[in-house]
Amino acid sequence: MTDLIQLDVLGPAGPYRSRNRATVADVSGRPVAELSLAPTVYVDRAMAALRRATPLPLDERVAAIAHAGQLFATSTINGQTVAEYEHAVSRVGGIPIQVVRAATATAMRRTEQLYNNLQHARPWGAVGDWRDPLTHAGRAVWSRRGEVFAVHAAGNHPGTHTLWPEALALGYRVAVRPSRREPFTPHRLVTALRMAGFGDDHVMLLPTDHAAAESLLRGADLAYGSDEVIRQYADDPLVLPLNPGRSKILLTAETDWPKHLDTIVDSISHHGGTGCVNATAVLVEGDPAPVAEAIADRLALLPNLPPEDEKAVLPVQASSVARALEKFVLDKATGARALLGGAGFVEELGDGSAVLRPVVHQLERPDDPRAGVELPFPCLWVAPWSREAGIVPLRNTLVLGVHTKDERLISALVDEPSIANVYVGAHPTYWTDTGIPHDGHLAHFLMRTKGFIRG
Amino acid sequence: MDLPYDTRPDPEEYLQAVLEWHFHPNTGSPYWLERAKSLDFDPRRDVRTFDDLRLFPNVANEMRKVPAQALIPRGYGPTPEIVGVYESGGTTGAPKRVVCPRDWLDRLIAWSNANLNEHGFPRGVDWLGLVPSGPHIVGEIFRRSAATHGRHGFQVDLDPRWVKKLIAAGKKDEADSYAEHVIDQAEFVLRTQDVGVLTITPALLERLVRRDELVALVNEKVRAIRWGGTQLDPDTHHLYRTEIFPGLVLYGHYGSTMILGIAGQRVPAGEEDTCVFDTFSPYVTFSVVDPRNRRLVPYGERGQVVMNHLSKALFLPNNLERDLATRVEPLPGCIGDAVADIAPVSHFENEAVVEGVY
Repeated sequence: MTDLIQLDVLGPAGPYRSRNRATVADVSGRPVAELSLAPTVYVDRAMAALRRATPLPLDERVAAIAHAGQLFATSTINGQTVAEYEHAVSRVGGIPIQVVRAATATAMRRTEQLYNNLQHARPWGAVGDWRDPLTHAGRAVWSRRGEVFAVHAAGNHPGTHTLWPEALALGYRVAVRPSRREPFTPHRLVTALRMAGFGDDHVMLLPTDHAAAESLLRGADLAYGSDEVIRQYADDPLVLPLNPGRSKILLTAETDWPKHLDTIVDSISHHGGTGCVNATAVLVEGDPAPVAEAIADRLALLPNLPPEDEKAVLPVQASSVARALEKFVLDKATGARALLGGAGFVEELGDGSAVLRPVVHQLERPDDPRAGVELPFPCLWVAPWSREAGIVPLRNTLVLGVHTKDERLISALVDEPSIANVYVGAHPTYWTDTGIPHDGHLAHFLMRTKGFIRG
Repeated sequence: MDLPYDTRPDPEEYLQAVLEWHFHPNTGSPYWLERAKSLDFDPRRDVRTFDDLRLFPNVANEMRKVPAQALIPRGYGPTPEIVGVYESGGTTGAPKRVVCPRDWLDRLIAWSNANLNEHGFPRGVDWLGLVPSGPHIVGEIFRRSAATHGRHGFQVDLDPRWVKKLIAAGKKDEADSYAEHVIDQAEFVLRTQDVGVLTITPALLERLVRRDELVALVNEKVRAIRWGGTQLDPDTHHLYRTEIFPGLVLYGHYGSTMILGIAGQRVPAGEEDTCVFDTFSPYVTFSVVDPRNRRLVPYGERGQVVMNHLSKALFLPNNLERDLATRVEPLPGCIGDAVADIAPVSHFENEAVVEGVY
């Protein structure tokens, strides 16, 4: 088929179309694009080219990233309009079109704000450049830990690609290995960055099969990502794994929870429930049943629509994938009280794809390990919580939404190292803003401080 | 059976001669004479065509236990000239063993050298081989090729079984260090000797290419690269041919100890990166079959490779290998299939659920 979109490797000498290509299909199984896969030798040489390249001056990098964000969100790139790009992401990833559009807008805002965001991450006592006059008296200088950064990108949501441009801004040369699940966003973003002024040897898109993926790690100083290649190296201090979000909401007894029901439901189902910042569990001090019932009633109203429909809010997957998820969840949930989706939650759309409808289960104990089972659709576990249970069941959380007046509890949660973000009050778990870390600042992995003085 | 390598006998007459030799009490090997008793057909009477070879069971696994001595045809007399006993990779259990008499190796090397001429390999130069010296036959083939087509053969030894063991045990770092050690050894030879031909595996070539100074050295000295052992994918082949080693001859072979030799790459018609391998027909023949029913797949389709070796030295028919390949029409006058795009059984992404959202 010749009408498939060709997603070339974006290597050191421009686009490269390989013979070995992966077919990218939409949720109905229809092929949409072909993704060129770079062989190991190509990746090795590409990584060496990244290492040889000298970074652009800081001003130019920051300006180019902001410009690239504009191009990404407003221009025709690789012959694809913004609307066509968003349609492709929606159909391939099964992500509701409005969610994709929101991500496009966010990408533009984040790239505009990128430098500002980095200033929030910089230790306040450190200067960003050795030429800063303060270094005459001696100062900490914020410096890179390496030169080449490899990204093994996640494919769950286009928004995951707004983080790694920070590495480019910091002077790293960056290789992105896209997820085969949704390669459109990184391909578009790398192209936009090149259009905006980054050299071909400064930022690359290197799709590979599993074996060649190791070359990206080998050729980089630092790497981060979510796939199995990264997980193998999770103990390596030079590798930063993206951990499962397992975001949660805690409602203590004095909370007027019906007042916050909108925020709670939104935290679960915003982004179609595909993000790591979507709530996986709600813990309730007292009887969790009324809360679970109220959430289930709300979620039950969400419509079944193909992802590209303007009104779509739920994720869609290939039927076979959806059925596998269904079996997995039903097996896991055995014995739990089902409030929604307990007899199945897959709604066929008739074209080989299926909607993943919300699922709500109530557990009997706060430490039931199932409260940490996170899946890429609104799949919620509601469990009781008590002061005796304490913060143990709240550990390992990306974003914890807390509805409480108890300041001692808030202190304990802020002090808990395995909780990344704590949002108290009526703020959804997906809330973020310039200067707010996602799972710590990425820059804290990429940078170090260095003592410096000059005479 | 004692014809010169470039004389092509009538396949069926040849087949009859081979069966007569291996299953006649005066000339056959103790192994086959004993094994024939358990067959429900008479090889000398009932096997008329190459297709009939399918009557034979796949006895390759029995080569893990048979005493080597029992594999030598009695027709070679009391003092046969044996070059060596060779083993298959040993990756699927205990190694399989075959015995190689001298007359076969001479014929194979004569055929192989003619191939090298056709591909434009320089004659009389020194060779460097990064191949196992033993117990696989590839080491012997390297030494004979270097000495008869080239001049001196320099060797760097390697033990692929040890590497596979390290990888299986999750000791990737150790496997890496070992491979780097092999490349270090090669570098000493490349720097000091007059190497014109490099024999290497695709995996080691990939590693060598990571060192810019070695790429420069190879381009400066080496005029031809003979690769084999595993597949070299067309994208990588293209990069070698056009960017990394422009001007060098690239020639691949697809070998197996169980055929006592190699299939050689067909001379490409033009700027091609897909390698087609032809066997030394009718001594060695392949067929590409559907693994479910053992029927030939159509030309251009993929299937599993079945190998036959039929010579005075060895009779080993119907050996189903692990490799997958594309079935290609043989050259005129050859029987069996040519193969392309050799690959181990592919892994497909399944739909097992992994928790998490990424």
